[in-house]
Amino acid sequence: MEQLVRPDHSGRVTPRGPRVRLSKAAAPYLLSLPAGFWLVALFLVPLIVMLSLSLQRCNFGTGACVMTWHWGEFWQQLSLYHTQFATSIYFAGAATVIDLVVSFPIAYWIAFHGGAKKNFFLLMLLVPFFVSFVIRTVVWEFILSDQGIVLGNLKHAHLLPQSFHVLATGYAVVAGLAYNYLPFTALPLYVAIERIDKSVLDAAYDLYASKREAFLRVILPLTIPGLFAAFLLTFIPALGDYVNQQILGGTNDTMIGTVIQNKFLTYFDYAGGSALSAVLMAIALIGIFAYARVLGSRTIEEYL
Amino acid sequence: MTDHHETQAPGNSIIDPAIWRGMTQRRMSRRQLLESAGVGAGALSLSAFLAACGVKGTTSSGGKVKPGGIGSSSWWAKQKLHRKVNFANWPYYIDVLHGKHPTLEQFTALTGITVNYTEPISDNDPFFAKIRPSLQAHQDTGYDVIVMTNNAPPLGYLIDNGWLTPLDQSTMTNFYKYASPLAKNPPWDRGNKYTMAWQSGWTAIGYNSSVIKNPGTSVGVLFDKKYAGKVGMMADPQELGSLGLLAIGVEPATSTESDWAKAAKKLQQQKSDGIVRAYYDQDYINRLKSGDTVVTQAWSGDIFQADLNSKYRDLSLLIPDEGGMFWTDNMCIPMSAQNPKDAMTLMDFYYQPQVEAVVEYYNDYVCPVPAAKQVLLNPTGWAATELKKMKSSIGLPASYTADSPLVFPTAQYMHRSMAYYQYKSQEELTAWNNLFVPITQGA
Repeated sequence: MEQLVRPDHSGRVTPRGPRVRLSKAAAPYLLSLPAGFWLVALFLVPLIVMLSLSLQRCNFGTGACVMTWHWGEFWQQLSLYHTQFATSIYFAGAATVIDLVVSFPIAYWIAFHGGAKKNFFLLMLLVPFFVSFVIRTVVWEFILSDQGIVLGNLKHAHLLPQSFHVLATGYAVVAGLAYNYLPFTALPLYVAIERIDKSVLDAAYDLYASKREAFLRVILPLTIPGLFAAFLLTFIPALGDYVNQQILGGTNDTMIGTVIQNKFLTYFDYAGGSALSAVLMAIALIGIFAYARVLGSRTIEEYL
Repeated sequence: MTDHHETQAPGNSIIDPAIWRGMTQRRMSRRQLLESAGVGAGALSLSAFLAACGVKGTTSSGGKVKPGGIGSSSWWAKQKLHRKVNFANWPYYIDVLHGKHPTLEQFTALTGITVNYTEPISDNDPFFAKIRPSLQAHQDTGYDVIVMTNNAPPLGYLIDNGWLTPLDQSTMTNFYKYASPLAKNPPWDRGNKYTMAWQSGWTAIGYNSSVIKNPGTSVGVLFDKKYAGKVGMMADPQELGSLGLLAIGVEPATSTESDWAKAAKKLQQQKSDGIVRAYYDQDYINRLKSGDTVVTQAWSGDIFQADLNSKYRDLSLLIPDEGGMFWTDNMCIPMSAQNPKDAMTLMDFYYQPQVEAVVEYYNDYVCPVPAAKQVLLNPTGWAATELKKMKSSIGLPASYTADSPLVFPTAQYMHRSMAYYQYKSQEELTAWNNLFVPITQGA
């Protein structure tokens, strides 16, 4: 308990306590105001706008929208585009798994063996990503094109059949996603591995653990929160990605991000596009909560 | 304003009335707009709040010209030339010679009006969405002349919302002298109150005649399993849906929602049979040229333009017995345009046979000025010089353009022309898109 009143130098007792307590109680709220404002203005309001748009009917001629409470929109859009949702989840999942497999050794090596040049190696990992996302993807289109510098030469040397192509396939899309989101996997993993106290490894060896056992039973469990963070930071943006599919993909691998983009920018179907966005978000949130329950939300917050 | 031109000219005989059957249906009227806007207007206050979170719009006063108001003859009389005009068109849609546009240069030379020619329109809807906020706010869109297609909803919206400046009929001298019956008094704009045709064309079937010797005369060639994986279709839902309707033997203009569902089924089948290589936008022509596709939905002028190049002489256009979808791109003046008088001068300038001959030698779409044919055959003066200069880059003689029924259509070609379905409400448009868009969206 705090002292509520205390005598001043003249011996009088001034009741100052309540004022102190009030500002103390308000402090956390005041301090979180910028963040709160951020959350309300840039997340909550757009979210409500999006959700309400999906229940409205818009007139393209005048741009006027009228609330119709048409809840059927969600179901209708889902039934029209469920295959694209499935494709998105599959592609984003595949890209995330590839990223985890590729970046774990990288992160592990930098954290344990990077030595004094750790920061340099991290920078090397990031340098390619200083170039615009779209440009990098377009360059891949150029490199992988049917008669491009790679496939063209291989075909010329009769190492590949003429009809062979990488572009316009699901593989190209997954590869593009994996490439573009690699830093989002590698960095959280690095942070998690870097945190591990190296002496726990020594302890494991002292207790006769083999290298394999030490990795599987000590290192891996300690990096699980990092793995989770990496998964989230890669999977969620990849799920809604619409650039890779449009540039590298074909006609039978459309992802939901492309559909949503077309709805908004080509067909001006705001209600349909909003409904699909809402469904996509719901899927992502359900996934996160399910995941969080399994791993415990506290450890997740630590690493995000 | 005079009304003498509103009656159909006797020269109309080459047009089968059936062509216009669907086009005569009114686009969504202002009253219908308000009706659909009124749905649920009396609902809960929460809905009003949520609606306020969405996109807000206004309905402007409809298409009537008020006495003395914008577009009235007294208003036009007060307008002055500003010696400049901003012309927004579609890409590759005007004569080009060494990076310049001869007809525009001639226009500037004759009138002293400089033209800021831009090509920002690659699709009707997105362009309309871009200029709509300015029009709603009664502000200048930055363009004095824009080109909108009659088959897409925006032209109807522009007219019904009162967002186009009524044309100054008294200065349309060349238009009333030379315009073809196709361009005069069209069903989507009776009396040419707001628009003058820029070009027209067909959406039909392009094919590679070295691969397909006998394409037949039917849209069935697009569904032929022989060409599986080599068939190109258009991603535009209106083009795709219309073709589907032709394939099931229904006239698009008079089709019903149940026809649409059947057409969508037919197109879905075509896709799941592996016949379609892809659904293309403007890119389809390159795919046909490169051999990725051997038969494709195509715009008539594109095939003709490609055909002018000796490399692609194998490309041919088929307007099937079921019909070719016929559309018209229209010049119009947005409300609050800064230089309306200059815009009028420009639009009427293009109805001179000499000028149109030069445009058509490059464009090869359906010409709104029949007399241009004679200029192409026997050019004189300025046109002769320009056509001669252009010949080396185009390759084939101007008579080739003059003799093409794709540029100067014969009665037989016009007979096979079909009108697009005109959506009567926003709900219909949504229903149409919900049927045909998913087909193009892969997976």
